[in-house]
Amino acid sequence: MTPRNILRYAYYPGCSLHASAGEYDLSTRELFKKLNIGLTEVPDWFCCGATPAHNVDELLSLSLCAKNLELAARVGGDLAVACAACFSRLKTTQHVLSESDVKRQQVEKAIDAPVPLNGNVKHLLDILARDLGLERLGQAVTKPLFGLKVACYYGCLLTRPPEVPNLDCVEAPTIMEDVLRAIGAETVAWSHRLECCGANFTLSRPGVVLQLSHAILDSAKAAGADCIMVACPLCHGNLDIRQKEIEGVYSTHYAMPVFYITQLVGLAAGLKADKLGLDALIVNPMPLLKEKGLL
Amino acid sequence: MSRIGVFICHCGENISRTVDVERVAAEVGKLPGVAFATDYKYMCSDPGQGLLKKAIREERLSHVVVAACSPRMHEKTFRKAVESAGLNPFLCEMANIREHCSWVHQDRKEATVKAIELVGMMVERVKKNRVLPTITVPVTKRALVIGGGIAGIQAALDIADAGYEVILVEREPSIGGHMAQLSETFPTLDCSQCIMTPKMVDVANHPRIRLYTYAEIERVEGYIGNFQVTVRRKARSVIEEKCTGCGVCMEKCPVKKIPNKFDQNLGMRPAIYVPFPQAVPNTPVIDRENCIKFKTGKCGVCRKVCGPGAVDYEQEDRLIVEPVGAIVVATGFDLYSIEEKPKGSPIKGYGEFGHGRIPDVIDGMTFERLASASGPTGGKILRPSDGREPKQIVFIQCVGSRAREKGISYCSKICCMYTAKHTMLYHHKVHDGQAYVFFMDARTPGKNYDEFWRRSIEEEEAVYIRGMVSRLYQKGDKIVVMGSDIAVGVQVEIEADMVVLATAVQPQKGADALAQKLGISYDKYNFYSEAHAKLRPVECATAGIYLAGACQGPKDIPDTVSQASAAAAKVIILFARDQLEREPIVARVREAGCVGCFYCKKVCPYGAVEEKEIRDRQGNLVKVVAYVNPGVCGGCGTCQATCPSKSVELDGYTDEQIVAMIEAL
Repeated sequence: MTPRNILRYAYYPGCSLHASAGEYDLSTRELFKKLNIGLTEVPDWFCCGATPAHNVDELLSLSLCAKNLELAARVGGDLAVACAACFSRLKTTQHVLSESDVKRQQVEKAIDAPVPLNGNVKHLLDILARDLGLERLGQAVTKPLFGLKVACYYGCLLTRPPEVPNLDCVEAPTIMEDVLRAIGAETVAWSHRLECCGANFTLSRPGVVLQLSHAILDSAKAAGADCIMVACPLCHGNLDIRQKEIEGVYSTHYAMPVFYITQLVGLAAGLKADKLGLDALIVNPMPLLKEKGLL
Repeated sequence: MSRIGVFICHCGENISRTVDVERVAAEVGKLPGVAFATDYKYMCSDPGQGLLKKAIREERLSHVVVAACSPRMHEKTFRKAVESAGLNPFLCEMANIREHCSWVHQDRKEATVKAIELVGMMVERVKKNRVLPTITVPVTKRALVIGGGIAGIQAALDIADAGYEVILVEREPSIGGHMAQLSETFPTLDCSQCIMTPKMVDVANHPRIRLYTYAEIERVEGYIGNFQVTVRRKARSVIEEKCTGCGVCMEKCPVKKIPNKFDQNLGMRPAIYVPFPQAVPNTPVIDRENCIKFKTGKCGVCRKVCGPGAVDYEQEDRLIVEPVGAIVVATGFDLYSIEEKPKGSPIKGYGEFGHGRIPDVIDGMTFERLASASGPTGGKILRPSDGREPKQIVFIQCVGSRAREKGISYCSKICCMYTAKHTMLYHHKVHDGQAYVFFMDARTPGKNYDEFWRRSIEEEEAVYIRGMVSRLYQKGDKIVVMGSDIAVGVQVEIEADMVVLATAVQPQKGADALAQKLGISYDKYNFYSEAHAKLRPVECATAGIYLAGACQGPKDIPDTVSQASAAAAKVIILFARDQLEREPIVARVREAGCVGCFYCKKVCPYGAVEEKEIRDRQGNLVKVVAYVNPGVCGGCGTCQATCPSKSVELDGYTDEQIVAMIEAL
C-alpha cells in the first residue's frame, strides 16, 4: 500500500457515543479497523457544548469547540466526527472564528492557545464517500445489502446552515444514498430526508418530537422503506427509542429499524452483529435482517 | 500667453459642502496663465453657462477649465457653451472635483487642497490643447434589430414606417418571442395571440423590413452610422423562397415525439416543424439532431412529399454581411429554473422545491401554455403528470427574485401581475377549484394594475397568503406546500394538486456573448446597461446601439412596447441627418518616428490603423508607416500605450500633457 492510501484521523466521538449511542462508537471503531482506517481518539476531549451552550453563551460555545479543535490538532491529521451535532458545532466554530477576528481573539484568550482554523473537520460520511472513495468502499464489501430498502435520513444539521458544513448540496444531498448504493443497498426517494426530528425537545417538549418524528416515520413507510439510516445519535434516539411511543400515540405500526450508517456499512463489510452493537437498537432489526438474508 | 478662464461649480451643495469653492477660485486665480476664475452655484444651468459665455467674450479667454462633476456627465454641455461663445470646443476641459473629491472626502481643508491641485493640473493640460476640427462621417440609413419578440417587432415596424430599411434578425425559426407563448395579457385579459399575430404579419409583409429568422449575429464591426454586421443564417434545410407552408412534410415526418420548446416541452412536434401554427415565416425547419435522415442517412420522406421541392438536405449555414447605421438590441428574457445549478454558480437552484423534479410543479410560462387556447391541452388546465384537472392550485411568487441567498436581488416586476392573472384564468376554467397565492408583497404600479390585482381577490376568489414557502414535497399524488402566513403568525400546510412558480426574469442565455460582440456593457446579471439610468434609458454607452425590452431589465408588455418605440425614435433621429459629427479626439501618427512595427494595428479594437507608404520625390519607397483613419478611430488610446517608439498620440491626452499635469502637482 502506498503511503497516500493510508488514512489516519484524529477521532472525536462526542458525549453521546460514550453514553446512549455506544453502538455508534463501537460500530465506527470496528468498521474503520476493518477498512484499515486509523482512528486515534483525541486525548482528554470533552463536550462540544451541543445545543445548550450556544443558546446560553456564544463565547462559551465557541471556546469549548475551539479547545477541542486545539486538542485534536495535537494528534495531527484530519478530525473524524461521528455525531451530526458535534460536527455542526465544530464546523460552525471554524466558520465564525475565521469570519471574525474579534471573536477569534476573545476565544484564543479564553482557551489560552491559538485556534487551528485550517484543520479539516470531517464527518464519517465524508471519509467513507470521498477520502476512502465509493470505489474502494465497494471493494471492501463482502456481503452486499441486496434487497434492503433504506430511507436515508440526514436531519437538519449534516448539510445546514448553507456555507458551513459544505458536506453536500444543502437541500438535495445525495452522499448517504451514494454510500448505500456502493454497498449494494437500495435507497428510496422520500420527502422527509431533511426534516427536523425534534432534536433536544425530546426532554423538554416530547409532544413536539412525537409529532415531527411521526411525520418522518410515516413518510419513510409510505415510500416503501424497510428501515431508516441515520448519522446522528439524537435523530436515532428520537426515531428509534421513541418509536414505540409514537406508534401508541398515533395508533399506527412501523416496526422500522433505525440503523447508524456505520452499522449498515459494517454489515456489508462482513462484520458480525455483536461487533456492530445491533442488539442495542430498541426496534429489533434481527427479523428484517434475517428476512433479507443479511445475517 | 494663454488667458485661461476657470469656472468652479458648487453643484448645489454637492461640492461646496466639502470644498471651499471660493478659496479654490482665489488660489487658482493666481496660477500663471489664468486670467479669470470664479465660482457659481449651478454652473450647468442657463445662468451658469451664460456666465461662462460672457467671461469668454469680455475677458478674451483662450482656454476654459470647468471644475465641476465628471466629464462623463457634462463635458458635452460645457463644450457646447464654449463653442457658442466662439471658442473651439476642444479648448475646454473639466476638472472633476465632485466624484473625485467632494463626494469621497470628509475633511473640508484637505478636500479643498485636493480640489486646487486637480484644477491646477487641468490648467496645465488645457494650455497644450489644440484646436480640433469636427470630423464628419456619412450615415448608412439602415437599421439592424436583434430579436424578433414584441420589442424587436415594434422597433422594426416604427423604423420601417418612418421610411428606413430594417434588418430583423431572430434566433428561433419564427418571430413572436415570449409574447406569442402567452395566453391572455394583463390588465385587460385580451388574448396575446390576437394582438401579437397581426404585428408579426405586418413585419413579414413590410416592404422595408428584411427578416432573417433562424439566424444569429456572428460579428459586428464599425461604429455609429457605419456598422458592418455579419449574420449567420443557420441551415434551415428548407428553401424559404420555394416553401408554400402547406405542412405536408410535418404531417408525414415519422419522428413525432420531440418535446416542443414553444409549448414548454408539454406538447410534441415532428423533426421538421414550425414552432406554432401562426409562425412567421410559416416555413418549417429541420431539427437535424432529431431527424432520421441526418442521423442515419435513411428516410427522406419530407423531400419526397414536398410538392414545390423546397426541402434541401445539403443546405449549409450562410454568412451575410449587412451594412447598417444603427442597431437596436431586443433579445428579451429567459425564466429562472429551480433546477440544480453547477457548483460555484452565483445563481442557486431550489433544492427545497425538489430541484424541479416534481412533475406538477411548473413555472409561469408553462401555465401560460396550459391556459392558451392554442396550447398543448387546448386551453384546459391539466396536470402534466396525469392529465387530471387540479382542484387545489398554489402559486408562489418571488421564486428566485428578491432572494439574495439564491443569487438574485432584483424584483422581476411582472410576476405579481401575471400571478393575479393566472388566478383569474384558473377560476374561469376550473369553477370548483381554489387558488392560493403565497406572496411577499404585491407590486402593482401601472395603469389599472392595482384594480386588476384586487379583482383577483375580491371577485375571482383567490386566497392570498402573505408569507413564503419553505418546502414542497410529493405525498402520493399531492404536493405538500409548507409555508407561513405572517399576517396571522401560523405555519400553513396546503395539499395542492399543482404548484405554479413565478420564477425570476433573467436575460437570455448568451446575452453576455452578444454584448461582447456588440461592445456594449452589461451588469452582473447580464442585463444590458443603458447610458444613463434616468436620462438616457434606451441608449447604450456605445454610440449607435439602442436597447428595447427585457434585455435591459425585467419589463411587462406596455413598458417594452414604449421602450421599443423610444429606441426606434432614437434611430430615426440619427437617420434624419446625412452626416454625423464625430468627436475629433483621435490618434495621430508622428510619421518621422514610426518604425512600421504595426503593434498599433494589432491592438486597435476599431480596425482604424492602416499601412501608409512614404516615398521620396523620385517615387522610391522610403518606408511604410502606420496611419490612423480618423473616421474609424474610437479614441481609446490603446495604440498610444502600445507604441514602442512613442510615435502615436491621442489628441488631448498626449504624453506632453500628462507630464505637464504631473509636474503641476
